[in-house]
Amino acid sequence: MTEATLGVKPPKTGSTLHTLRTKEQITGYLFVLPALIVILVFGLFPIGYSLYMSLFNWRVTKGAYVGGRNYLLIFGTWTNLLITLAGIALIVAAFWIWSNAFSSLSNRKTIAKVVAAAVLIVGGVVFVTGWGYMFESGNQNFLKSLIVTTYYAVGTVPAEVIIGMILAFLLYQDIVGKDIFRMMYFLPYVTPSVTSAVVFQIIFSLRETSIANMVIGWFGISPQRWRFEQRPLLNLLGVDISGFLAGPSLALVSIMLYGIWSFVGYNTVIFLAGLGNIPKETYEAAEIDGATKAQMFRHITMPLLSPTTFYLTLIGFIGTFKAFNHIYVLRTPSAGDSVITSSLLIFDNFYKANQYGVATAQAIVLFVVILGLTLAQNKLMGERVFYG
Amino acid sequence: MKRKLFSLIAIVMVAAMVLSACGTPATDTPPVEEGGVDWSTVTPAQNITFWHQHTGEDREAAMEKIVNDFNSTNEYGITLTAEYAGGYGDIYTKMLALLNTPDVPDIVVGYQNQIATYQLADAFFDMNTVINDSVYGMPQADQDDFIDAFFQQDVYPLYDNQRLGLAPNRSMEVMYYNMDWLTELGYDGPPTTPEEFREMTCAASANPFSGAMAEGSMGYQLSIDTSRFASWTYAFGGDIYDGTTNQYTLNSPEAVAAFEFLQDLFADGCARLVSENYGDQSDFGNGTLLFTVGSSSGLPFYTSAVEGGANFEWSVAALPSTGTPKQDVYGASVSIPKSTPERQLAAWIFLKYYTSPEVQKLWAEASGYFPVRKSVADMMGDYMAANPTYKASWDLLEYGWFEPAVPGYDFVRDEIEVVMAAVVDDPTLDVQTEFDTLNEFGNRILAEQLEQLN
Repeated sequence: MTEATLGVKPPKTGSTLHTLRTKEQITGYLFVLPALIVILVFGLFPIGYSLYMSLFNWRVTKGAYVGGRNYLLIFGTWTNLLITLAGIALIVAAFWIWSNAFSSLSNRKTIAKVVAAAVLIVGGVVFVTGWGYMFESGNQNFLKSLIVTTYYAVGTVPAEVIIGMILAFLLYQDIVGKDIFRMMYFLPYVTPSVTSAVVFQIIFSLRETSIANMVIGWFGISPQRWRFEQRPLLNLLGVDISGFLAGPSLALVSIMLYGIWSFVGYNTVIFLAGLGNIPKETYEAAEIDGATKAQMFRHITMPLLSPTTFYLTLIGFIGTFKAFNHIYVLRTPSAGDSVITSSLLIFDNFYKANQYGVATAQAIVLFVVILGLTLAQNKLMGERVFYG
Repeated sequence: MKRKLFSLIAIVMVAAMVLSACGTPATDTPPVEEGGVDWSTVTPAQNITFWHQHTGEDREAAMEKIVNDFNSTNEYGITLTAEYAGGYGDIYTKMLALLNTPDVPDIVVGYQNQIATYQLADAFFDMNTVINDSVYGMPQADQDDFIDAFFQQDVYPLYDNQRLGLAPNRSMEVMYYNMDWLTELGYDGPPTTPEEFREMTCAASANPFSGAMAEGSMGYQLSIDTSRFASWTYAFGGDIYDGTTNQYTLNSPEAVAAFEFLQDLFADGCARLVSENYGDQSDFGNGTLLFTVGSSSGLPFYTSAVEGGANFEWSVAALPSTGTPKQDVYGASVSIPKSTPERQLAAWIFLKYYTSPEVQKLWAEASGYFPVRKSVADMMGDYMAANPTYKASWDLLEYGWFEPAVPGYDFVRDEIEVVMAAVVDDPTLDVQTEFDTLNEFGNRILAEQLEQLN
């Protein structure tokens, strides 16, 4: 809005200018006030109140102030937490050294790389040691749920982004009935997750004649227990690994498949919007230069879609760390804790065990983990985004 | 500088609005003390709400009729609004957030362990203060008409014998069996002992029913549910809770024997887990499952499954037991959250109506639940004659036994389900060791919950 449209005469004195600025300030605050109130009441206030609750022995009623005890239940000791954080700090430092080495043109580049690698190894060892101590003396259920959540995030987000991008690229071409395809791919995202998860219960049921078992039967694979199987998928494939490296259970993989199915449509639609913003002239120029479709996808589409990819990855990771509804519906007692993500564990501790203080402390830790991962992602991926 | 000042003013203003909107935390609201209320001076509230979990055409229609009849006939002009508030779990989580606030419903359904959890916050009305009131109380003859075990189930020794609920209906764990298939296998009736059960389930797994509508043949499907854990433990003569010591007994010899028995059945291929929600009902209806154990409130659904499936002769019986049968009886009660004496009185007046014989008959026949009053059973003669499976399950009521009504039981139930799934899934697991750990967990959770009473 310009001064001309407002009908305001140009300021002549310093005091008039100040009055105008003051009015602008007030107008600005009035505009943002409704949104600010909504964010404060429904966003920041619950976080603050959770933090407050986590400092008390809060069950069905508010108990005594316990300070950081609910957090200590998670970490075992503060020292364990400090060691783990020191490990993370060293890994970050290694990344910083490594990045500087690449950007530097000095002849000490190789030395910097070696130092970075050494710091990374030390950081890794310190992190694993701290984590091990926490696992020994802290809340194993919560720490394990963080691992399960990580499996879930790593297993779903990249797949959702890659499949979404491919589908968007295909739907962007001149194919017959592409509007119908767009709608079909988007439908899972708008279907209520509880309802569609119940359908997945049937698809991945124990029955030998379940849809999932029929499909793998076409490839000569014997029927599986799917949502009821707590053994890691790699073990079932004959790879003899245990611990963290064994990966997610087949039950969790079944739930991941639901997650991918559900969110691919959303990613596809966002990618389609991103594709629409790429100038057609770029492709025409590449075509004149003799570029193939694959080359155009690799060197034009992918770089120019990187802001969209970055956004979807960021939102995807945050979403998977908070995922709840479909995991709650698809979990089975037979799968044990192999499908219990942090959100589920916090819910159970809050509503079923009535450990409000403990549960809110865990929620705050999860919040910090998500915040940390988001910042790390922002740093790692944000610099590689090409804005044209 | 001014910009900072404006920012500060804006933040303070918004913070003030937020704080005034939030007010005092809900849990700090002082509860109404009803102990000394002279009910004859209280006028019942005119509008009250009832949160329930009932779904299904018949139950919804019956509930609507009960509410409409109450609203049009009660002499106090009370208008009750019945609201479906989700399943038991949904209602429980909603209620936890509302305890001791004015936003609580006036009547709410809840299992006894859930009510016990709510009462940790001293949030429910003790009906002892009104049940014998000369004006609004329930006549002694009516109190005596309740089946005693049901009537006493809502009296909580943990809370100085306060009456925190009233039973409007009950159901029971029963064993459903396919009589035609049993006959084909050469048996003239359902099993009464675990050994007979083993023999029949294994025979059925090897010999499909001739009238089956689908492929497959299985003797028994176990649904992973703590009430099945309790049922099988009871069938072997044990219990899962010791009321005298207030301790779980999840590792009792009877519980271990029961699950070693089931573990063997699974290992021998004579039993398996239920594949999906209510998968046992559909398999039973299709004639591919000989036995299943579940709530008697499922009778209408089993009737539909069989009539729409293999259409065979079937019935219900007590679980095969090592001695006298002991059947798990359960059901949510209706309770009154603390509010004002006026609202509590109006709620109580509805509960008296809801549990009156005529209304009980209507509700029991529409819902498939058991009525809670002895006189109602006599009134239901025609219904029982027309529904022999209902009659068969009703006749088992004398063997009824209850699960513990203690806070935190929901959390322990989840762990029980994980462990029972583990032992039947993996025949190499030592049941005693697993149940010892489970029992330790249960008692630790219980101790944590009871700490709040101190």
